[in-house]
Amino acid sequence: MPFPKRPAAPAVLCALAATTVLLASAGCTSNEPQPSADRGDGGRAKGGITVSASDDTCAVSATSAKSGTLVFEVTNDGSKVTEFYLYRADGTAIAGEVENIGPGLTRRLVVRAQPGTYTTACKPGMSGEGIRARFTVTGSGTANAGADQRLLDQAAGRYRAYVTGEVGKLLGGTKQFVTAYKAGEYDRARELYAPVRAHWERIEPVAESFGDLDPKMDLREADLAEGQTWTGWHLLEKDLWWPAGAPASKRLTDPERAKYADQLLADTRDLHARVATLKYQPDQMANGAKELLDEVATGKVTGEEEIWSHTDLYDFQANVEGARVAFDSLRPVVNTKDPALGRVIEQRFTALQKDLDRYRRGDGFVSYTDLSKAQVKRLSDSVNALAEPLSRLTAAVLV
Amino acid sequence: MLANYLIGLREGLEASLVVVILVAYLVRSDRRRLVPRIWAGVAVAVGVSLAFGALLTFGPRGLSFEAQEAIGGSLSILAVGFVTWMVFWMARSARGLSSELRGQIDRAAGGGRTSLVVVAMLAVGREGLETALFLWAATQAATRTAQGATSTVAPLAGAALGIVTAVIVGYLIYRGALRLNLSKFFTWTGAFLILVAAGVVAYGVHDLQEARILPGLNNLAFDVSDTIAPTSWLGTLLKGTLNFSPATTWLEAGVWVAYVVPVMFLFLRQIRRNNRPSTAAAPSVPASPASPASSAS
Repeated sequence: MPFPKRPAAPAVLCALAATTVLLASAGCTSNEPQPSADRGDGGRAKGGITVSASDDTCAVSATSAKSGTLVFEVTNDGSKVTEFYLYRADGTAIAGEVENIGPGLTRRLVVRAQPGTYTTACKPGMSGEGIRARFTVTGSGTANAGADQRLLDQAAGRYRAYVTGEVGKLLGGTKQFVTAYKAGEYDRARELYAPVRAHWERIEPVAESFGDLDPKMDLREADLAEGQTWTGWHLLEKDLWWPAGAPASKRLTDPERAKYADQLLADTRDLHARVATLKYQPDQMANGAKELLDEVATGKVTGEEEIWSHTDLYDFQANVEGARVAFDSLRPVVNTKDPALGRVIEQRFTALQKDLDRYRRGDGFVSYTDLSKAQVKRLSDSVNALAEPLSRLTAAVLV
Repeated sequence: MLANYLIGLREGLEASLVVVILVAYLVRSDRRRLVPRIWAGVAVAVGVSLAFGALLTFGPRGLSFEAQEAIGGSLSILAVGFVTWMVFWMARSARGLSSELRGQIDRAAGGGRTSLVVVAMLAVGREGLETALFLWAATQAATRTAQGATSTVAPLAGAALGIVTAVIVGYLIYRGALRLNLSKFFTWTGAFLILVAAGVVAYGVHDLQEARILPGLNNLAFDVSDTIAPTSWLGTLLKGTLNFSPATTWLEAGVWVAYVVPVMFLFLRQIRRNNRPSTAAAPSVPASPASPASSAS
């Protein structure tokens, strides 16, 4: 048993002194808040972001702030004890939290935040997922100085060029697709469907960052909420690959086809315009690569994404390519920080691509329904083997 | 009011249990003169906590989230080290008590004397910073009322009442502990303290997971938050006494078991030895520094 018979008083004093030093230096952050761009606090805080947490709401006074020290003044206006969390982009790692905010109290959360996307959450009753909202931290970040910063900027530039290129091709392809579809050239439309969507799938995390556009464009029928109108790619997919046995009366009419096709094109134009204004942060790119792999694991490898057309492998390939480009853009940074991790990711990408290449047919891929259970399992294993080291990419790039 | 009361009760219980058992032990073993050391430790912890809390709330600099969790987590684990030491120290001296060789007691307590302050300080100081931050926030709420805002002094009063209740509960446990016979006292309080310490170490691990020093924050072993809400009475008592968390990660659960099983085993073995006939125990007492339990240290 490692318990001291005589407690070493000097050791204890050292520990306490170390704690004090920690308090005095690295562990401290300024209470002076950074001015945030679009703050609309009700005059309650001295200058931070205010959060009003009730038993069923979580009103954050700003949706974005500049990187650096952020101060959240969290007031519990409800009757239950609450907690406030700031999660990093993946929605699970905690960037900061305050617990035990009793009714009527205001507690302060001080965090040093790097640029990127975050999620805020109030947890009335101190349990569950909480009431969540997206929060963006803008700016160039402060922790990466000198050469690192230059590499990071170059990485962001490369990725930006890629996304801009892809969204341009997506718009061009969608125009062709919509034209063929509206003209009743359904064979042509079916031919275009998967290759055009590949441009969307390659940049999915970017497209998904626009919370209003993504559900309008890429919602699956299975994910449709009660009372929600179904629009976008998968609605047209179902129409094009109308399931045998489904009542023909439920099929879209020609005016409806024109309406939804025009809607899709309009939304794509909107996406194209908005993407042009985006700037990318290294953590967004690294997390984006991981998100793409997660997309593969949850949708494509299971055949749920393209339930009517069974073109899941096209999406699979596009997701992997998008992740690969994000990773390749960051590669010079990874090489200086964690070359071993870079090599592992590289190797797993190659292995996954090799597995996927087995199912190529002509310019495209076999139907998802042609895969045996063992083949799906094998693909899934390859995806998981890549996802694990890829999940460490963000930390490797930023820390 | 009730919600704030429960917070005060929970934090108060966490702090008072160890102190109460320590005081009861000193009184039972006729070392009442050492009790002021414990109060000194408590006073230091309260003072330091309040000072830091005030500094972090009103001062120019706040504590970053990671640092707060890292300090909380490390202090918890340090506290467990001391409480474990204390449990065995008490069990070992109990052997002296049972064979009525009082001359040995003070020698056994010699090592404990300096550290009693530290044990009391850690027991209270561990939750002190969090509680102090809460209290200062409540003070601010009360001040705002004076300036015409909507809040009232209810949060502060609620938390204070909760702490008072915790002290009363602690006192009742103390009275109960005094009434137990000695061997029962050592067995029960020792076993209880081991469970408390296991909870503290698991909680410390959770803090370090939140600070991302340890992994696995989202791998839950079980989640009974729906049945035992953390803000309910039951949740408060379980958390305040055993540091039970309704949503426990695998790492926390693993650490809890890894602590309880060997420590409880060694403790019960020590207690069983103490309860052997005094003829067997007496000859070995002079050699007590080299007895099995201490030689293992």
